[in-house]
Amino acid sequence: MVGIVLISHSSGLAEGAAELVGQIAAGARVVAAGGTDDGRLGTSTERIDEAISAADTGDGVLLIPDLGSSVLSALSLLADLDPQDEGKRVRLADAPFLEGAVAAAVAASAGLDLATVAHAAEEARHDRKL
Amino acid sequence: MTASSEPIESGVTVVERAVVLAKHLHARPAGQVAQAAARHPGTTIELVAGGKRANARSVLAVMGLGAVDGSQVLVTVAGLEAEAVSDEIVEILCRPED
Repeated sequence: MVGIVLISHSSGLAEGAAELVGQIAAGARVVAAGGTDDGRLGTSTERIDEAISAADTGDGVLLIPDLGSSVLSALSLLADLDPQDEGKRVRLADAPFLEGAVAAAVAASAGLDLATVAHAAEEARHDRKL
Repeated sequence: MTASSEPIESGVTVVERAVVLAKHLHARPAGQVAQAAARHPGTTIELVAGGKRANARSVLAVMGLGAVDGSQVLVTVAGLEAEAVSDEIVEILCRPED
């Protein structure tokens, strides 16, 4: 199953989003990577790296960042992955944080592949609430 | 509940069912509907409620229907195993709140 990593400046936001997503998409593998190592607001490539390892079952991992440096941290981490190995299995989604996570997790929980899960996340920007 | 089905060609059927919701079609049941849709890639499932239309594959579109407890939803399923898939979707919609 494709794993999902939620990257946020806030560990509370990442963990709360992961909890909500897990309720909507039962069975999905969603891991939070929020805040800095010393518990402040910010992003940490080490925390993201650990979350990728925790989310990866071999079918790939989709990273969903909230804003700004979450995107930059994810990009810098992706640049360091071996393009022949882990780099092939990890993708960064250009998607709204919560809506993208919910859509991706539903697709992942049904066993769909990484490209399809990433597409589901990115399509989430088009869905209206009203 | 009403049901109709019409074979188009061998193995491919369109099934329509009108159901009255046993609960609000909010985040959790919308997720269950979309998970079921994702498990049946050869089948198209559409929900119509209150003049809005949603592809069941999109959890956000299903939530966006804003369908509440007691309202009617029309479920249209087209493709392989449409009968069985429609049973699955109707069961989710008619199941009381978890």
